[in-house]
Amino acid sequence: MGFILDKISADKFLSGLKDEYYIFAPKRFELGGIYSDTDAIRYSEINSFDEIVFDEKSQYSFKETILQISQTIFYFTEDQIKEPNFTCRQKKALIFLRNCDLHGLKRLDDMYLNNGPEDYYYKKLRDAAEFVVMGCENSFENCFCVSMGTNQSDAYDLSIDKQEDKYLITCKNSKLNNILLKAGASSSDVVPKFVTSNNIQVNIPDNLSNDVATSKIWDEYDVRCIACGRCNFVCPTCTCFTMQDIFYTENGKVGERRRVWASCMIDGFTDMAGGHSYRVKKGQRMRYKVLHKVLNHKKRHGEQMCVGCGRCDDICPEYISFSNSINKLENAMKEVTSNE
Amino acid sequence: MNNYIPFSSKILDVIKHTDVEFTFRMSCKREVKPGQFFEVSIPKFGEAPISVSGIGADYIDLTIRKVGKVTNEVFERYVGDTFMLRGPYGNGFDVDIYKGKELVVVAGGTGLSPVRGVVDYFANHRNEVAGMTLIVGFKSPEDILFKEDLKRWKETIDIVLTVDSTNDTKNYRTGFVTEYIPELKFQDKNNAAIIVVGPPAMMSFSVKGILNIGIKEEQIWVSHERKMCCGLGKCGHCRINDTYICLDGPVFNYTVGKTLID
Amino acid sequence: MDINTKKLKKNAFRVSKVRGITASRIRVPGGHLNAKYLDVIKHIAQTYGDGTIHITSRQGFEIMGIPFEKMPEVNAAIQEIIDGMDINQEEFAQGYPSSGTRNISACIGNKVCPFACYNTTKFAKRIEKEVFPNDLHFKICLTGCPNDCAKARMNDFGIIGMTLPQFDAQRCVSCGACVRMCKRKSVEALKPSNYRPVRNAEKCIGCGECIVNCPTMAWTRSKKKYYKLVLLGRTGKKNPRLGEDFLKWVDEDSIVKIILNTYDYVKEYIDPNAVGGKEHIGYIVDRTGFEEFKKWALKDVELPPETEVCSPVYWNGIQF
Repeated sequence: MGFILDKISADKFLSGLKDEYYIFAPKRFELGGIYSDTDAIRYSEINSFDEIVFDEKSQYSFKETILQISQTIFYFTEDQIKEPNFTCRQKKALIFLRNCDLHGLKRLDDMYLNNGPEDYYYKKLRDAAEFVVMGCENSFENCFCVSMGTNQSDAYDLSIDKQEDKYLITCKNSKLNNILLKAGASSSDVVPKFVTSNNIQVNIPDNLSNDVATSKIWDEYDVRCIACGRCNFVCPTCTCFTMQDIFYTENGKVGERRRVWASCMIDGFTDMAGGHSYRVKKGQRMRYKVLHKVLNHKKRHGEQMCVGCGRCDDICPEYISFSNSINKLENAMKEVTSNE
Repeated sequence: MNNYIPFSSKILDVIKHTDVEFTFRMSCKREVKPGQFFEVSIPKFGEAPISVSGIGADYIDLTIRKVGKVTNEVFERYVGDTFMLRGPYGNGFDVDIYKGKELVVVAGGTGLSPVRGVVDYFANHRNEVAGMTLIVGFKSPEDILFKEDLKRWKETIDIVLTVDSTNDTKNYRTGFVTEYIPELKFQDKNNAAIIVVGPPAMMSFSVKGILNIGIKEEQIWVSHERKMCCGLGKCGHCRINDTYICLDGPVFNYTVGKTLID
Repeated sequence: MDINTKKLKKNAFRVSKVRGITASRIRVPGGHLNAKYLDVIKHIAQTYGDGTIHITSRQGFEIMGIPFEKMPEVNAAIQEIIDGMDINQEEFAQGYPSSGTRNISACIGNKVCPFACYNTTKFAKRIEKEVFPNDLHFKICLTGCPNDCAKARMNDFGIIGMTLPQFDAQRCVSCGACVRMCKRKSVEALKPSNYRPVRNAEKCIGCGECIVNCPTMAWTRSKKKYYKLVLLGRTGKKNPRLGEDFLKWVDEDSIVKIILNTYDYVKEYIDPNAVGGKEHIGYIVDRTGFEEFKKWALKDVELPPETEVCSPVYWNGIQF
């Protein structure tokens, strides 16, 4: 059971949504790409369906809509600490994302809700968010969601597929359902779209263990990787951050504490007081990241972290393929087990 | 509840150990175990994870070594002023595990801080362990921490205090802590428990030495140090494999600790 | 043999060192052409010339070894190229109407290069349409970014692409890449403050290194395209010198207007006895003074408010 929205009812639906939600979706930033005369597709608040990019993958994931890139934790004075107002979100957030991203959301939850105590700031935005899954007609370049089992998710409030100038909808959320009916959506049988195959498949060997750290496969990345961290920042499942204290006054007693996204690929991630740091070689950082995504997160939380969206491959300026690094693991395990 | 909001803690006393190491006695009524750590807000710099080096009913000791840009500022602080703290974080040492054992603590430099509470407890309750030896090493006589404690502990437990090098060989033993491990005597090796805390290289050589004298891995405990930004298992900096040092550690039985190599 | 050398030179042919033999120069504005014209050039070279081609330093082609008597046939044959590249022409099938204003050269620009701040070919073609044909000796060159691979500073008018970096502090993760790269590859216009970069607007040359190296798109390009206009660089026997900065953060329209104004200025002040009617603009400016040139160049030009005008401009170069 579902709905079809034509252009008129779609506009009505959107204006109905806007009364209740801030709507975040992948949007084309014309001339907003890093290279001259190129566009960027990334998340932003949107005001019409036309702004939403359905036929391309966003370069950055939805993550930034509930896990801000830079977030003020509190303001401090000599004797007071004050939380920032969350007034920017008086309404709920409605976030458009892909099936893989919806699985990515679970990984964010793993970390921010279930790894130690609940994260106060994440929880606030997370609880005030609802999700619209955008179906994928075809696999995009570098996607390997089918291998990761993340090509389909039913953990959405609404599903939407664009078909020419119509939108095919299914809905699990009564509030959204009402807005749909008010907008004059016509009922129809709708099955949300999802892909069942990708050009890229990955194979995570059953015997994969952290022993693979000693394999030589990591060495090539010492030279190839430039430690820019783009792979982490576009990833829907990377969650690391760093705390920063900003001081407004000379005596350092007035200021703000914020947290900003961090990357395990960038210099300084492991620096300790006194100057010691770990994983100085970029290949070892690659190993740390890859094994987190396809081994260690699962050990702790039961599901692989990587959701196969392929954004890390899309963005890497050095054309390092994450999926290809996964596919090297089988031989790498043979290498390290035969060494014993 | 918002775990990121620190609490204000008064500086009750400042004890200078060396030119670069000070212990700050801070007001704190929270339940704290040795080996746990606090995130200490340092004006003009930010937060730094600092191990608890002593625990009282309404205070904690934080021993801070003047390394890195973060910890320098602390030394300009005086009694009566305050620090903002978060914590305690981490598992810490469970003294009950070591009761009845022939306990050996091997500590290097500031590594003595996180185990000071353990040593102090058994120095005061000597009858609760079958044996108690502290092997502790510093770079030079000038770097020795907790001098008063060491004097006091001597009354009840065995102490090997060594410095890496000195001209004053009359008063100080020299050499690394590892050199004194083979000299350890046990009534029953199977009843031994060894805690090793210190810089990464010192720890790995010490553990090797301990295994060499026939102690089993599961009889060894280590405390790992990592960059810990949040203390809450969120920021990701301290993760090794599937372990978060700030949540699951920093104290590990060596059977686990040995896998945490990075 | 009776040949009017003045006429043939104006017609983009050359008086060569071999008596009776000329060469035909093909304009390629912006140095970019459809590969099919290579077939035409090949055909001309093999039919009328000696079968070889020189690629000129201004990105044109010089078809060599053509006997003078073949010039009409060559002019007929190059019509396809002239049409294809949309070169202004006065008479059909009579070849190029002038040669004084040289081919507008350009680096590859943002069609390919990640550093380029604009489409150099497109702008080159626009200028070509505006300035050609003209007998006055003007050299105009476009380069995509301050790397100046096209050597715009060796030209009368050097156009250097710039972008005005936009910073979204909320997207900054303090990775330091922009500050590091600006220092290592550019002019060190960024300094960190409170974990974030602060841009020194006076120092910034708009190269875009911060943007290209930012992993989170905290730095992005300005929607508006900006240019630096550098003036009156030249090679030559007397006083070779690099072009100097005249305008920073200027727009395309102003540049076109300034170039056209300069034609008026040169017509007014060129040495009437100049050898071959050819005098580098720089020598004229040396004579009239920079202020007079500036007055003419900026006539009716409405510079964008963000444009910085360097005045007066001094040149150095090699003095003999």
